[in-house]
Amino acid sequence: MFLSADEWQIVDLSLKVSGCAVVFTLPPAFALAYLLARGRFPGKILLDALVHLPLVLPPVVTGWLLLIGFGQRGPIGSRLHEWFGLTLIFRWTGAALAAGVMALPLMVRAMRLSIEAVDRRLEGAARTLGASGWRVFWTITVPLALPGVLAGLVLGFARSIGEFGATITFVSNIPGETETLPIAIYAALQVPGSDAIVTRLAVTSVILSLGALVLSEVLSRRAGAGQGGHVL
Amino acid sequence: MRPIVRLLSAVLMLVATLTLSAAATAKPPLVLAAASLQESLNAAADAWAARHHERPILSFAASSALARQIDAGAPADLFISADEPWMDDVQKNGFVAPGTRVSFLANTLVLVAPAASTAKIAIRPGFALAQALGDGRLAMADPESVPAGKYGKASLVSLGVWSSVSGKVVRGDSVRAALAFVERGEAPFGIVYATDALSSKAVRIVGVFPNASHPPITYPIARLAASASREAEAFRLFLISAQGRAIFRHFGFLPHRPQAL
Repeated sequence: MFLSADEWQIVDLSLKVSGCAVVFTLPPAFALAYLLARGRFPGKILLDALVHLPLVLPPVVTGWLLLIGFGQRGPIGSRLHEWFGLTLIFRWTGAALAAGVMALPLMVRAMRLSIEAVDRRLEGAARTLGASGWRVFWTITVPLALPGVLAGLVLGFARSIGEFGATITFVSNIPGETETLPIAIYAALQVPGSDAIVTRLAVTSVILSLGALVLSEVLSRRAGAGQGGHVL
Repeated sequence: MRPIVRLLSAVLMLVATLTLSAAATAKPPLVLAAASLQESLNAAADAWAARHHERPILSFAASSALARQIDAGAPADLFISADEPWMDDVQKNGFVAPGTRVSFLANTLVLVAPAASTAKIAIRPGFALAQALGDGRLAMADPESVPAGKYGKASLVSLGVWSSVSGKVVRGDSVRAALAFVERGEAPFGIVYATDALSSKAVRIVGVFPNASHPPITYPIARLAASASREAEAFRLFLISAQGRAIFRHFGFLPHRPQAL
């Protein structure tokens, strides 16, 4: 297409980072969404606020917290390195961690809404017909909440693609390793005569983000329609 | 609903009042300066304020980012770049007030390591930087655009080691971002200015890059064409005066014979 090989590498890396970010954030995000939608426990408001924190915190603060926590010298980072040989700082995996943390609140929000919209009488009916708790969860709750879960995934993916502040603070800019779309655009902006590159990367960003938003909207509409009665 | 409307109009009134009163009083000059000048220029501004002048507002970033903002029409008064090409760029685009550009400071480039590191490397052609780095990263400012990164790349190229370390470079968005990665011990080595290394207790100078290995590191200052501030011009003259340059020398900058361009 209209991108050079280097630019494709940037897009490719962005997709890899964001893809990994949402896939690995999905299980904790769903668990948190379920807990917040169904659970009644002390400290629920606090948990809710904590989950939403990356949404309102300055991204550079999130990046700094990741840096001091998951850096080579950080309390978590040093143990990950010692026990599993896993390094996050200056690696694409670190970029994925930053993107995942930033995407978490959006994913939890979308999933929580769809779990709350599941008609609990259907679950009750399944139980009276003899289904176990797990079976009800996998055959009633999850399928009914699925459009919202998918919408959350896509929304989280879109957020991850655009992640800049936490990423540059935590893993800096390393071409081919942590140079995602926004970071490449920021770096290119500082080179004179790079307007053509900036334009191409910016257009790619707009296309990716727009596509993801439209997809997520379609999915959440479907989730809304499912609620309207003609389930099963 | 109604209380919200009332609150909004109150906020609007407040904003309007503040804007008007701000417009009425003269604003202090705005100085856009290379990130490496952080401590020294702040000290110079303090000295200026001690002489009963209004303290200028200082904004620090990579010279490249600042030049871009000026080219986009940022309403600033003075610009201090860490290299000549970015000042050339701004001048070429017609943003420099004629006759106000002076190169007044010089700096040197050093290899730093975290203070706790015991690494010893002699900087000479073909020196074993890649081996010393091992799995670690070399922190430097973006070698494509930010002055400290451009000088660093030029040095490593002329010493014949760039190709062996270019894949290990972490590109900071300013020289101070690179310094911070070494201070935290996340990068075993970094390339920064001697003045940056002196400003930090958390890093140690491992070696100095020979001056001949990179273009001369000089800092040009200029007043911007759009600035009508007399205070800004007075501050510029103070900075390039013997007294002004003495402040920078205190922070490790080298004197550079002022040359009007």
